[in-house]
Amino acid sequence: MSALNNPVIAVIVSVIIAVSYFTFVDHALMDMQGLDYWYLFRK
Amino acid sequence: MGSLTKKKTLAIMALSAMIGLLLLPIVVSVPALASGGGAPAGGPPPDVVKKEGGEGDKDKKIEKARDVYYKTEGIVSGLPAPKTGDNSKDYPRYNFESRVLLWFANQQHLYYGSFVLAVPIFCMVIEFMGVMTKDKAMGKKYDQLAYDFIKISLTAYSLTAILGGILIFTFLTLYPAFFGYLSSIFRPVMHIYALMFVAESGTLYIYYYGWDKMKEGFLKWIHLSMSVILNVIGTVLMFLANSWIGFMMSPAGVDEQGRFLGNIWHVIHTALWNPLNVHRILGNMAFGGGVVAAYAAYRFLSSKTDEERAHYDWMGYIAMSLGVAFLIPLPLPATWLMREVYAYRQQMGITLMGGLLAWLFIIQATMIGILFLSTNYYLWQALGRMRGAERFQRWIKYFVFLLVCGFLVFITPHTMVMTPAELKAMGGQQHPVLGNYGVMSAKNGGINVIITTTVLTFIWYQRGNRVPSVSWSKFGNIFMGVFFFFAYVNIIWLAIYGYFIPANVRVGLSVPQVATTLSCLFFMTALNLSMLKGAKQIGPIEWGKISVRSQYALIMLATAFTWMMGLMGYIRSSVRLFWHVNEIMRDNSPWAYTHTVGFAANMISFNVLFFWISIMFVFWLGTLAAKKAPVEAKAPVPGQAPQPAVGH
Repeated sequence: MSALNNPVIAVIVSVIIAVSYFTFVDHALMDMQGLDYWYLFRK
Repeated sequence: MGSLTKKKTLAIMALSAMIGLLLLPIVVSVPALASGGGAPAGGPPPDVVKKEGGEGDKDKKIEKARDVYYKTEGIVSGLPAPKTGDNSKDYPRYNFESRVLLWFANQQHLYYGSFVLAVPIFCMVIEFMGVMTKDKAMGKKYDQLAYDFIKISLTAYSLTAILGGILIFTFLTLYPAFFGYLSSIFRPVMHIYALMFVAESGTLYIYYYGWDKMKEGFLKWIHLSMSVILNVIGTVLMFLANSWIGFMMSPAGVDEQGRFLGNIWHVIHTALWNPLNVHRILGNMAFGGGVVAAYAAYRFLSSKTDEERAHYDWMGYIAMSLGVAFLIPLPLPATWLMREVYAYRQQMGITLMGGLLAWLFIIQATMIGILFLSTNYYLWQALGRMRGAERFQRWIKYFVFLLVCGFLVFITPHTMVMTPAELKAMGGQQHPVLGNYGVMSAKNGGINVIITTTVLTFIWYQRGNRVPSVSWSKFGNIFMGVFFFFAYVNIIWLAIYGYFIPANVRVGLSVPQVATTLSCLFFMTALNLSMLKGAKQIGPIEWGKISVRSQYALIMLATAFTWMMGLMGYIRSSVRLFWHVNEIMRDNSPWAYTHTVGFAANMISFNVLFFWISIMFVFWLGTLAAKKAPVEAKAPVPGQAPQPAVGH
């Protein structure tokens, strides 16, 4: 836990968690509706 | 411990017995319900039936028909929906628009009904908190607060009943043909409704007048149990009333002529019944919280002593918190309701959100924005009662920026109301600039930014006079900041992304947008609360020492709730257009047209004004009642806010 109190490490870890989480939310919830979240990028 | 368990067990047993007794009328009437309420609903009077029977049962033909919604076959058990004409027999009238009179009676009954259904739920929660808290002084404060709540609702309850009577008489005298048909279909339901109303009255009076007698030990548990019963009955009452409006919008259990097919459950359980039920429960709670907060603000503003001000400041805060706690999830059942409307009849959904009534939704968006702006403003003002919260003040301007941006995007229309000449001059409905804005993914982005900012304001309020002291607080703060930052990025990204993908894909973006907001609400509130465990207090909360402006914000909040409720009720009702019962019974009165937006807004404003004038009278009556001095309102535990169900 002490390493996490280092601001740089804390920011890196937080960014990784937040970005992964929101990407997962976007993908999974569109997928559950039968829609493609990556539509624009696959085109 | 053993004694407490015994008391709880006895209370549960007593509660079960009371519920059993109260629900007995329904149980007894179940066989009748199963067969459609005894004699056929809407059928001929008994003497006619007798005559027909005399001619011989052998000749009696059993006619079957198909349910318009469930598509099942059933035995025709009622008369067709009457075909009315524009005459004084079907539509008796004064020299005034009957629909406006009915609108007024209906709206006032609904306002008071919602209020008296919501307040006992608050009482139940607050009384339970009072019983469960280990701090005796706080327990008494909660008890006093719950008592204050129910005291307001008691007078309002009588008014609800009176307005219900006025409503029925208005129906009977101005719309006899329609009301006759509706009551023929819902006859058993209406009887149960009346019985439930009697049960609710009895329970409410015992609950209120027994408060002092049942304040200790086992009797207190019984008293608390009665609040559960009160709310069960209240909720069932509302569900039954909802079945009538559900039937009018999306009829079921009848054939295409409107003849009852013998299954009362089909008539109750229409396509829109459940979404309406959930939406109305949350809506009533938010509305009730708003009205009680306005009451507290009124009492705060008229207080003569610091003790009173402290008590009503606290009361206003808790009522506001409860109201907003139900306001935030309210868009979810609203979306469900709209989805079901579209699923039931696509045209109905288009009329609501993309056609005739679409501009009313712009007004609704404005009202929702006002609700959240008022809430945030109140919380910023409330930081003023906490010593140590000054450090947050300089950030408020950024919150204002976010809220205003979200609000402006949210209220931007996609199309404009225009005269034919203007339409021609512009070359179509789409404005060359405005037509690019106002699409749903952008609007969803706007409202989600507003809600997320409100969550952030709540979290800051929770931290007002406290500093986290857990060992991982630095990481917690950074994580929270990063999470909120990316939540905003995600919401705005999805709003922009919607412009680049087809409408059939774009439509799904609202779900991850809402999920992002809810993630902030649940995860960040939980994280914040864990960080604040054993937090360092840097100053006391001085209840009552809050700006007068904050109290006007509470009144604004309540007024906006009331206006929005009137507006949405009007939208929901007028979507039937020229039908009393959608596609079954046509409205042939001279008033079967949709009012202009301006007229509707004036009418809603009149209803809101009347409600507030009358509820002010109720508040005033409350002050005349024997006063119970607020218990130890002056000195809450320094630095620690009383813990309401939600928030700080």
